[in-house]
Parts: sequence; C-alpha cells; structure tokens
Amino acid sequence: MPGRLQQRLRARFDAWVRRRTPRSLPVRFDRHRIYVLPTRFGAFFAILLLTMGVGALNYNNNPALLLCLLLAGAAVASLLHAQLQLTGLEIHAIGAEPVAAGTPLQLRVHARAPAGRARRGLRVDCGAASGVLSLDGGAGEAVLSLPTSRRGWLAPERLRISTTRPLGLARAWAYAWAEMPLLVYPAPEAGSPPLPQGRGDGQHSRLDPAGDDVHHLRDWRRGDSRRAVAWKASARRDALLVREFEQPLGADVLLEWSALSALAHEDRIRRLAGWIDAAEREARRYSLLLPDHAALGPGTGPAHRHACLRVLALMPGEADGTR
Amino acid sequence: MARVDPQPLSPAARAWSLAAGAACLLPLLPQLPAPVAIGSVAMALAIGTLSWWRPLPGWLRMLLALALVAAVLSMFGFALGRDVACALLAVMLAFKPGELVTLRDARSLVGFALFAPFSTFLLDQGPLSLLLGLVGATLALVALLQLSEEESGDAAPIRPWRRVSTVLRLVAIGLPLALVAFWLFPRIGSPLWGVPERVLARPGLSDEMTPGEWLDLMNDDRPALRVSFFGTVPSTSQMYWRGPVLMDYDGRSWTRSRWLSDLPVPATTRGPVAWDYEVEVEPTERRTLVALELPLAVPVGARVAWDHVLQSDVPLGRVTRWRMRASPPSTFEPQLPALFRQNALRLPEGYNPRTVALARQWRREVGAENDVAVVDRAMRMIRNEFGYTLSTPLPGRHAADEFLFDWKQGFCEHFSSAFVILMRAAGIPSRVVTGYVGGDRNPIGDYWIVRNEDAHAWAEVWLDGRGWVRVDPTAAVAPERIYDTIDDRTDGGGFGGLPGVTPMLDLGDWLRRGWNDLVLGFDAARQLAILRPIGLDRTGARGLVGLFGACAVLALGWMLWLTARAERSGDPVVRAWRRLGARYARFGLAREAHEPAQQWARRVAAARPADAEALLALSARFAKWRYAPRIDADDPRPLIRDLRRYRPA
Repeated sequence: MPGRLQQRLRARFDAWVRRRTPRSLPVRFDRHRIYVLPTRFGAFFAILLLTMGVGALNYNNNPALLLCLLLAGAAVASLLHAQLQLTGLEIHAIGAEPVAAGTPLQLRVHARAPAGRARRGLRVDCGAASGVLSLDGGAGEAVLSLPTSRRGWLAPERLRISTTRPLGLARAWAYAWAEMPLLVYPAPEAGSPPLPQGRGDGQHSRLDPAGDDVHHLRDWRRGDSRRAVAWKASARRDALLVREFEQPLGADVLLEWSALSALAHEDRIRRLAGWIDAAEREARRYSLLLPDHAALGPGTGPAHRHACLRVLALMPGEADGTR
Repeated sequence: MARVDPQPLSPAARAWSLAAGAACLLPLLPQLPAPVAIGSVAMALAIGTLSWWRPLPGWLRMLLALALVAAVLSMFGFALGRDVACALLAVMLAFKPGELVTLRDARSLVGFALFAPFSTFLLDQGPLSLLLGLVGATLALVALLQLSEEESGDAAPIRPWRRVSTVLRLVAIGLPLALVAFWLFPRIGSPLWGVPERVLARPGLSDEMTPGEWLDLMNDDRPALRVSFFGTVPSTSQMYWRGPVLMDYDGRSWTRSRWLSDLPVPATTRGPVAWDYEVEVEPTERRTLVALELPLAVPVGARVAWDHVLQSDVPLGRVTRWRMRASPPSTFEPQLPALFRQNALRLPEGYNPRTVALARQWRREVGAENDVAVVDRAMRMIRNEFGYTLSTPLPGRHAADEFLFDWKQGFCEHFSSAFVILMRAAGIPSRVVTGYVGGDRNPIGDYWIVRNEDAHAWAEVWLDGRGWVRVDPTAAVAPERIYDTIDDRTDGGGFGGLPGVTPMLDLGDWLRRGWNDLVLGFDAARQLAILRPIGLDRTGARGLVGLFGACAVLALGWMLWLTARAERSGDPVVRAWRRLGARYARFGLAREAHEPAQQWARRVAAARPADAEALLALSARFAKWRYAPRIDADDPRPLIRDLRRYRPA
C-alpha cells in the first residue's frame, strides 16, 4: 500500500512542519523553515551523474570524472541557490476582495525581502491554486485564484512558497499559515423576482430619465452624452453646459427575512443577496431585516452593500437551529 | 502538488534545448566511424526540422528507433562495447528531437545529451574534445536554466549572455567541491569491468612496417612522448627509443613474430651509464611502450618481451606515466640461440634477386668470417650513393631492388628494410627495429618532447662477441633528419622567421603537460603519492574517506559563503553607499532599507550634528548620481572613493 504509506508520511511531515512554523503572518523564512528535496528531474540527473561517475572511475578516465564532478558541483550550488531564493523572504500579508460564492477569490499574497538578491518566479500554492511571485525592489505580490463554493468564512489552506530555479534539479519550499479568514458572500439568486415594493409614505414615482426636472447646469465634461447638452443655455453662456438631473429618489426597499418563509433557508439568503445587488443596480435605498440581528439601513452604496452581504454571509446555517 | 498537465515548450526554449543537444553531440562526432557520424548529423537535421513543424507520431518514432539500433548493431557486427555504445548514443541523441513537445521532453533531451561529452572523453582526451565537451556541457546547463525559468512562470526576457554567466557562476561555486572530490575520492585500482580496445586506429607504432605506408605518422607533429630525465641526459644521437622489433619479412611487410613472444628474455650485459627518466605516453590504444636502449627495471603494469621491448598490461587508452631506468648494452645477447639465428636470417624466396646477388658477391669478396666488413661496405655504399626523401613512388614486387638500384633515395623504412635484406642475404643475422629517435627539449618545463614525426626505423645486426648492434643507415645519409631538434630544422624558414613563436609553442606544450600531469594521468598510484606525506596510504582507507569527508564539508561551507555573497548589488556606488549606512549601526542610526537617502541623512544629522555637513553633502551627491537625469556620463569613481573613505567619528 504505497499510497497509504505515502499519505501517512505526508501527514506526519505536515504535523511536524506545523509545529515549526508560526501560525500567523508575517512569516519570515530562515533556513530552518526551508525544505529542499530533489525534483523528479533532479533524481534522474543524480542517477545520470552516478552512472557517469562509476563509468569514469572504472575506466580511470579523469576528464570524464572531472566533467561529472563539475556537473555535480553545479547541481549542489543550484541547490544552495534554490534555498537562498527563499531565505530572508517575508510573507507579510494576504488579502482578498470578498466575492460571491462560486466565483474565484483573488487572493493576494504580499511578500518582501531584503534587496540585493534577485528573487523571481517563486511559485505560491494554496490548495489547488497557484500563482507566481516575483520581487521587484524588495517587494512583490502573487495573485492566486481560489475557488469558492459556499458562503461564510473561508480559511485559506497553508501557503506553500517554492522554487525549482535555477536548474530545476531541486525544489526548495517553505510553508506559511495565514490565519486570516477570508469572507465569501452568498451567491445571489439567478433570475430573482423584482424587488419588493417599498412601503411608507416616502414613495415617489420614478423619474423619466430624460425628464425635464432639471436640477442645475454644469460645465461639459468629456464623456457626457450629446443629448444631455443644454444647447439653448450653452448658446447664451458661450460654453457647453450640461443638464444634471436630480438623483431619482426611489422608495426605500425593505428586504425582510420573514417575508420569504416559502423558501428554503439557503434560498432565502440567496434571494436576499440577489435583491441587494438589484437594489444597488437601481440605486435605491434598502434596509435588511434579519432575525436575531439589528436592522441594517436604510442605506445605499458600497459600504452598505458590504455590510449587508457580510451579515448574510455569516448567517448561521439551517442546521444551527434558526427559525 | 505535481503539475499534471504537461507544460508545452516555448520556441526559444525549444531552440536552446536543440542547440545544447547539438553542442553536446559535436565533440563525439569525430570519434565515430564516418557513416555513423554523417548519418547522425543528417538525421538530427532532418528530424529537428520536421518535428519543429509537427511532432512525429509515436508508432513512427518507435519504428525508427528500433531500425536505428538494428542498423548500428549490425554495422559493428553485434559486438557490444564502448564504441558501439557511443555510436548508439549519438544516433539516439540525433533522433531525440523527434519527441520534443513538452518541458519534460526537453529536460530528458538535455539530460541524455550530457552523456555525449562524457563518452567523448572515454574515447579521446585531446584538447579539442575537452574544449568542445565543456562548451556542450555549459550550453546544456544554460538550457536547463531556461527550462526552469519557463517552468516557474516568470520567464522575463534575459540576455543569453546573462544566462551563460549565471551557469558559469554556478559551476565556479561548485568547483571547490568538484576539485576536492577529484583529488580525494577513492580511486579504483583495477577496473570493475573490462576495458575494450578501440576499433578506430590511431597513429602510433604498430607491430608492422610496410615500406611506403608509414607516411601519415611521419607527418604528424603531435607529441607521442614527453620525457623528463633525472640526472644524466643522453645526447640526441643516443636517444633511440626502441619500439617493436620486426623479425619476419614476407616480401612486402615486416612484422613482429608473435610466436617468439613466449620465449624467455635472453641474457645481456649492461654498459656503465644508466639513465633515469620518466616518460609520459600519449594514448595510442596499443600496448607497446618505447624505452631507451635496454630497460633496467620493468615498471609495474608492464612486462618485458624477448626483444627487450616493454609491453603494457592494458592498452594505453589514456595518458600514462612510467618511471624507467635504462642503459646502453655492452653486449646484447652475445649467445644467439639457434632458433633466433635461423629466424634472423630468413628471407622469402623469389624476392629482390639483385639485392641478394649483391650481398652474396660482397660475402665472397670479404670472406666468411668478416661480418663487420660487409656492414661497412653496405654503409659506405649508402652514404656515398643515396639520398633522403619523403616522396617515393609505390614499390613493386622487388621493393629492395628498386630502392637500391633504381631510385637510390627514400626514407628510414626503405633504408632499414633494404639494409636488413642485404645483411640477411650475406648471412648476417639482422632485424628491423621501429621506434622514435631524438626529441626536442622544452626549455620551459625542462623536458623532452618526442613527436609522432620522430618515428623511425633502423636495423640491428648480430655480430659475434658483441651481440646485437644498432646500425642506422638513414643516419648515414641524413643525420640532420634524425638528430637535429626542431629549432635546427626550422632555422631561417618556417616558424623560425617569426621571433617568439617557438617559445609560445613550448609554453603551450608545457601547459598541456601540466594538464596531463595534474588531470589526465592521475590515478590510484598518484593519489597515494600525494596522500603518503600526510600519513595516509592504501591501508588507511578509512582515513582517506574521513579526509575526503572533511574537505567536502569545508568546500561546501565555502560554496555556501560564495553563494550567499555572490548576489549583491552590482553597482559599486550603491554598494559603497550601503556600506556607509551600515557604519552607523553602532550608533543605532543604520539606514533602514526603505529609508530614502536624504531623509536618513537628515535623521543622522539631527542626532549627530558633528557629522551633519559631510553626510548631507555625500547623500546629496549620491542622490544626484542615482536619481538625477544623466546628461553627461559622470565618472562615479570620485563619489565611490569619498563614500568609502567616510568614517563617522
């Protein structure tokens, strides 16, 4: 059962590594935390050199032996070189913009190192995702595309920074655990029904986009549509003026958990997330009412959206005994 | 976390891998039989072009590979050995571009390509092979470097020269370890498996001489031997390096009798002089060793044959060194056994009737006992009537007759062959001896070089009471050809017209000899010789391993230091500036990596007003040099000097 054995060895190794590596960023790699092992090509190369060496010794052929030893020397030097690519490297932060579940999360890994050594093409692995880290002027970042499947906190797996440079004979690698959970928003429902009508007396009908309720005039800016130009006013003032419409003020939308009792738990969350995005698209103010949580809003804009989605993302699951 | 999908090759990486493969194959080609070499090149070109355009399908590759192996094996008659293995390697390497699709293919191509210079060295250790082999290996490492860059996903465009310099630095850093291993790694005294003789012929003395067919050796000015004398040095006219003694004549060729080789070595008495010397023999793939006159002691690894010629136990496939003692014989086999005598008088029937008739006539004239008079008569004739030339027509059936009576000119083979035929016909036991004569002294290393062109053939006649006596009819005609050094020969013409060329050539050969001495001729015995003074010998194998381990660890430490140090800023101004910043560490004011120059200077100035003026001025100069637009090419040297000189009090 080589597979099982390999798995157990790997688990053993992981546990050992885990004890030796600090649990949170920043992590600075010194030589005690860098592991170097030959790659498969390195093993092939070693066998090649061994064959050469035995042949050269057998024939007592010194140029052949010297060639073999020179190659071996270069290989050992490349091993040291690979390790030095990582020594002194510091992974100081990771970060990611939250995304909806199902879309890949762009994880940024920030690294820095003392200047003076070129460190290029380091590979950063996190689970199945990988990215390339190159340091320019002592700092650099790698972007990894982590797949997401469910809302809530996403604890990234350990980061593995590795390199097989310069000759591809040995891989030097080090681990960093980023104890920084990343947030994944719920996936918005696709094709959700229109927003529920707002209530209360602050209700207005929506303005015609080309309405004549001009709020004020301003100078023309690049990118303004020709239709928005107030030609008559412009002619009077001898400069291009543009009508600016008053922000249309829709009714406040109330997004209520309890109003969606017909749906399953996760579907409710997805619908609410979809509505939040819809409300943002339509630039309407919205409030979010959730059980066991203070009401959010009314409000609009990215900050409000993030606050609402965050609460939704962190809603306990159905099994956690929610109504 | 291994990458599952095969990574395709970029055109640049493919080109470099192919170039590395070609460069590795190049030194091997001249060592192979011509059909194999030409076939390999043609196939490499064809397959390289074809597969660039479109990779060959698997079944076709398999079929082609099998066909190639079969072709090469049948060409060598299905005999496995070093030559066959090398030919197979060359053919397979030429075929390998056919499956160059992924990164992995490229790596395996480069890996296998590295075997080519290696096997070249097994066949030939000449300077050209060594140079080409090293170039090939370097290019292979460069290709590996590029492949690794590609694999890492950051293949920023780099100038090829930068890659080469990176590889050279890696090799240089690995050099101490390699050298330690080279000199201290335990050597194998005797090979684990057989050392087959080479199929390809190389110039060198053979056990056969056919007058007129020896010319390529005489035009080859490559060294055959290098000799250092300890103590007495013989004069050039005494430097006869005896090689194979040829007894049998079939009317066309002289050959060394094989059936005599089991006979005991006949008794001789030695002369008063003894020459003590060491000879370094260039590889010939033959077993014959040449020695001055009579070897006094048989070196280890050789034995002496019936003709007092040394035979090595193994073919001389690499540079070997032999410590010898020799002296001229005072009597050389005074008692000639009947078997030898009979053999030394035998002539084939029906050849050279005019020569035989002349010899019989002489014998009648001088009487039955007077051998010396016959020899003198022959020498007088040759001295008076003959000339030396290297351009002779091809001989017919009666070669000696044509030479003695028609052409009256030729070179050593003609002279010695005709002379021995004359002697035998006159009833004097005689034989042809081949070897080298003379040599050139290299004043730089104080040693003698004997070249292939110094190859020579002379005669030995057996005289009652004295034994075998050397007679050199060629020397009677053209002594300058035999005894003069290259300097004498080229005086006024050739290289002699250009002053300084001869010392250059001497220096070149001296370097070559140093390389031979340090590298090519290094073996278990020599390793022992350098280890003995520090108290280690063969019995102390554990000590050797320990010493090797200790030195390897030291070399590794040195490598580590070199590697860590190697990558610092290449700009001397920046380096000087950094060192200046580091000098403030003891005041707790060292410059932080992120701190701009001026800002740091102001921080120091605030803390240490005494330094303020000088430091602010220096930092301003540094900032200006580093960041201001460069209009004229400033000389940075004064700035570097000032930065280096500055010391905070």
